[in-house]
Amino acid sequence: MEKKLSQMKYEEKGRIKKIDRSLRAQIAGMGIREGKEIEMMTKQPIKGPLVVNVDRANTSIGLGLADKIIVEVEE
Amino acid sequence: MKKVLLMGQANVGKSVLFNRLAGAYVTESNYSGTTVDFAKGRMRLDHEDVEIIDVPGTFSLEPKDRAEEVAASMLKEEKGALVVCVIDSSKVERGLYLTLELIEKGYPLVIALNMWDVAKSGNIKVDAEKLEQILGVPVVPTVATRGEGLKELVLTMKKAAPGEIEKIMERAGGKSGTHG
Repeated sequence: MEKKLSQMKYEEKGRIKKIDRSLRAQIAGMGIREGKEIEMMTKQPIKGPLVVNVDRANTSIGLGLADKIIVEVEE
Repeated sequence: MKKVLLMGQANVGKSVLFNRLAGAYVTESNYSGTTVDFAKGRMRLDHEDVEIIDVPGTFSLEPKDRAEEVAASMLKEEKGALVVCVIDSSKVERGLYLTLELIEKGYPLVIALNMWDVAKSGNIKVDAEKLEQILGVPVVPTVATRGEGLKELVLTMKKAAPGEIEKIMERAGGKSGTHG
């Protein structure tokens, strides 16, 4: 099933399917690319940032960015 | 005076490496107009005094915040500088983006595969020789916290070389205009 990264639940895992063109260059440096496995580590309340794990590295991402990343999640 | 810039992502050990290499005469500076601080010091390289700068951590050279802006413009201002790109050995792929950007810009480069001990204890095997072969720039495994590999790193700085992005693509088997 596909969903936005911002909609992923705590501890949910998936694979990055599509990253909006406008922010591809912005987050490539953090190791977040299409095809990468991703796990949701923490979600902050009140539209706060979320923390994801890609390649054993934790990275925090703003909700605005996470809205533009599509993830294929395991059912 | 020749300059050496320590660059890399946040939390890869740049500052530990800096403190090991710089020794005395360290000054903390503020990049004018910002609240971003960085440290400057001196070290001995090939019988010559050189300035070594602990550049703020950055994911890439396209800045997203003030610290990254400072990092990018410091690099831009120091055209003739030698760059030591510090990578966390347990997260090599993550560090290669910045590395390739630095190579693209044509800076003479040495790669410090830092936190080598962390990679080892995490059972992550990194082939430093192969990486050196593919990138065409010297690669040295280091453990800055324990001072391991620093002698080799300093000796290798003499051999710092600009890489060639096209050749890297060929060697890595990627696509480029001249290949395949």
